[in-house]
Amino acid sequence: MLSALLALATALPVAQEMNQDAPLSERERAVHLLNRLGFGPAPGEIERVMTMGATAWLDEQLAPAPAQDPRLLAALEKFETLGMSPAGVTQWVYQAYIGKGFNYDSLSQEQQRAVRDRRREPGRELVQSVLFRAALSDRRVEEVMCDFWRNHLNVSFTKGDSIEVQVNDYERMVVQRHALGNFSEMLQASARHPAMLNYLDNSLSRRPPSKQELAEIERNAKRSTGSRERAAEAVEIAAQRGLNENYARELLELHTFGVDNGYDQDDVITLAEALTGWTYEGGNRASQEFAFRPDMHVVGDKRLFGRRFIEDDEGGPGQGEAIIAYLAGHKHTARFVALKLTRYLVADVPPQKLVDEIAKVYQKTDGDVPAMVRAIVNSDEFWKREHFQAKFKTPNEFVISAVRAIGGEISDVRSLQGALIAMNQPPYNCDDPTGWYDTAESWLDPGVLAKRWQFALQLADGKVDGVSIPTTFWQCVPEDAPAETWQHHLTRVILPGGAGERTRAVLASVTSDYLQKHKVADLRELGPQLAGLLLGAPEFQKQ
Amino acid sequence: MLNRRDFIKWSAAAAAAAPFATPRRLLAATAQEPAAGASAMVVIYLRGGADALHVFAPFKDADYAAVRPTLNLAEGAGLIPLDSMWGMHQALAPLKPLWDAKAFAPIICAGSPHSTRSHFDAQDWMEFAAPGDRTMRDGWLNRYLTVSAKADTSEFRALGMQDLLPRSLRGRHPVLAVPSNLDRNQGEKTLDKFEDFYGDGADLMEGGDSMQGQRDDDETGVVDSGRMTIDTLRRFTEIVYGPVAAPEAGDERLSPRERRRRRLEEERATAAKPANAYPSSQFGRRMSMIAKVLLAGEGLEVAGVDYGGWDDHTNAGSAEGRMPSRLNDLALGIAAFAAELGPVMDTTTVLVMSEFGRTVRENGNGGTDHGHGGAMMLLGGGVKGGQVHGRFDGLASKNLYQGRDLPVTTDFRDVFAAALERSFGFECPKEFFPGHKPSRLKLF
Repeated sequence: MLSALLALATALPVAQEMNQDAPLSERERAVHLLNRLGFGPAPGEIERVMTMGATAWLDEQLAPAPAQDPRLLAALEKFETLGMSPAGVTQWVYQAYIGKGFNYDSLSQEQQRAVRDRRREPGRELVQSVLFRAALSDRRVEEVMCDFWRNHLNVSFTKGDSIEVQVNDYERMVVQRHALGNFSEMLQASARHPAMLNYLDNSLSRRPPSKQELAEIERNAKRSTGSRERAAEAVEIAAQRGLNENYARELLELHTFGVDNGYDQDDVITLAEALTGWTYEGGNRASQEFAFRPDMHVVGDKRLFGRRFIEDDEGGPGQGEAIIAYLAGHKHTARFVALKLTRYLVADVPPQKLVDEIAKVYQKTDGDVPAMVRAIVNSDEFWKREHFQAKFKTPNEFVISAVRAIGGEISDVRSLQGALIAMNQPPYNCDDPTGWYDTAESWLDPGVLAKRWQFALQLADGKVDGVSIPTTFWQCVPEDAPAETWQHHLTRVILPGGAGERTRAVLASVTSDYLQKHKVADLRELGPQLAGLLLGAPEFQKQ
Repeated sequence: MLNRRDFIKWSAAAAAAAPFATPRRLLAATAQEPAAGASAMVVIYLRGGADALHVFAPFKDADYAAVRPTLNLAEGAGLIPLDSMWGMHQALAPLKPLWDAKAFAPIICAGSPHSTRSHFDAQDWMEFAAPGDRTMRDGWLNRYLTVSAKADTSEFRALGMQDLLPRSLRGRHPVLAVPSNLDRNQGEKTLDKFEDFYGDGADLMEGGDSMQGQRDDDETGVVDSGRMTIDTLRRFTEIVYGPVAAPEAGDERLSPRERRRRRLEEERATAAKPANAYPSSQFGRRMSMIAKVLLAGEGLEVAGVDYGGWDDHTNAGSAEGRMPSRLNDLALGIAAFAAELGPVMDTTTVLVMSEFGRTVRENGNGGTDHGHGGAMMLLGGGVKGGQVHGRFDGLASKNLYQGRDLPVTTDFRDVFAAALERSFGFECPKEFFPGHKPSRLKLF
């Protein structure tokens, strides 16, 4: 007993007051790796990484299809729409009402309400599945990279316009399929996915109608309405139809080159023209699949970036594909992706040397994601003490890492979803095509910590519905030891990166206050109090 | 959070060039007492690039009908005429009394000289008031707060009325972003619990040694941010919701659902009280909270509030629809705010802006794409209202920017400068707007 206590005492987490050049200890390295590439350590994981070594852990994480946590698989099974195609989700939403001549407007108000409610369900299921995965998956690196790409190639439920039937498939076919694959392929997949075509309006973009087409529209309108005025109106409306630059601009600005980087307004227009005709079969009874519509396409060779991209002579999307492949292989894209990836995994202002290095890896491997992740983890910069416990967690990172830190048992993630809505970062609900930002500048405003503190206290107190601290978590605390030992123990588990002097002093005073008020210390009472404070402490806000 | 180097760069440049030569004197010279009573500025940002031509329509322009076949407003069809060229969308009807009282001044063809059509650059650069400058990290309102700060300055000089600050308020001067929907009583307890971790002067070490100076390394600013949260949020909740009610007996035993239900009921009861008809939207609630803090006399100078969703690429709606309903919510919120402030509105300026206007021509999806020149609005005491400001040369292609967008004939920075001068008697020091010397506009 005494020796156990002594061992604990020597292993107490102590604020690191060593100089900035001191290399990270083995334990610190494990903490850092799990923080940056795993949404924070769960109980026991640090020891596992220390035993395996960082390289072996990363190899395991990047190897295809390792075993998956059965708790996660069971949780995901409950969701009906996750594995469905957009057409399948559409079917699922409208199945009760689909028949010949189905028309939403002809439904009764009650039926419409039921449809609307059912339409929200796929989105709920998707967001919940994302949170389940982030918290429970054994595939830590994959989850972290999914989060990264989800924001890089953002689509959002806030768009409306029936996007809710498309995003589940986007998560599966674009994000999950390529998160640890190849950026170029992911970009092509996103470009032709209905969710992206809808979200950034490319599905509507088309060449202006020709004179003959306008004449035909006029004839048809006159025939159907019998009114010359109506026909003129129809022509006027049709004549306005044309390019929508939204996707082309964001493809350059946000997905590939980065803003103002080697392109101008003319390039945006040319790119938008090349991508006209890229749309999908929309509507409640349609396949919801990618479709190239030659009648919407601006036909002809396109000049972009000093190159000629010839028209697809089979009347298909070949020209656009060639341009996207060119963009993906461009050095601007390599640098932009490298910058964002190192900013996400290493530091808000990543070392330029590392950015350059990763950009080189990108170009050498055609955007191979595992190669870039490996290169970052194998770099000296990644392990520098100045980056240890130095990056402010985003709300998403905070919530997930808190649940993991206490080994949370999750039956339902709706309250986590609620917490992220309250903290302004629910997955797949970023209206701006930038996706959620990942730097402290964007999240650390005075005021934001109030909600984190509240969440921390509720989580530790078992008041976050659907998430509980398992008894095994408390079993790792030696219950027969003095309360001070519990305090040290919990500090070490929840703040494995070390606790500052002030934090330790506050916890000590909370513990001694408790002991003064209670004759017998009860771990089930004091433990959650301490855990809540630890999760809200300054140290836990950083990774 | 902020880039100290950049801040020093502009403030040093300002100091060097200003007639009052040193930073100290610069502070002294600008930290003057407000002339007549406390003044305040409320800055509303419409995110997404609001379609200026669908807020204010040049319905007498010869080309208007041709460029706007469906997003078309006319007398008796969605338009309130303002003068011989301009009308405003009928959704802005709640602001008509302010127009009639000459307290509402639209500025058309206002915006940034920079050609960017990126939302994110255009927003950043407008809020930093530094178009094209990627090194500036302090918002223009924050720069004003920093330069004019005094030792005994109120913690309530500025508020961001939303969970995250707009960029214009980010920077060196600490500003509270007011968390929305924080449980009143739970919130109070939470702040108490974390005061020792983050607050000042906690006295925990034996022998009464102050913990100050033993702070953890706080390079990210987490501790600082926490301290500010605790200090200001307490006072804010007191002002807006009144003092904490003593918990009723048995309150602790209520289920969270029941507590939530009671709280909502209470809120509804309170909300029903004021005679001013704020819309029940988020924007309405936020404007009503700003009014409460202003009327409490806590020294609030600047409040910022965002209004999102103005990127109408499709189905904007002509007389009615998506954009008109947003416009109406905006107008109702401002009108209720003005009504609640009453005479205080005479010393208050409301400034509305968006990052850019949109294409003059519709895009055929019932919407418009990113453009250039837009519109701004000034409301409140002292504005030269009841007239449309800004030069407008017509919608003919040859008069448009790059043949497609409204040109910018009024630089947004000149409007900012005028608003700062009117509200706080603040003369922008040289380089306050990097590389731009504001022209004096006759807006007030």
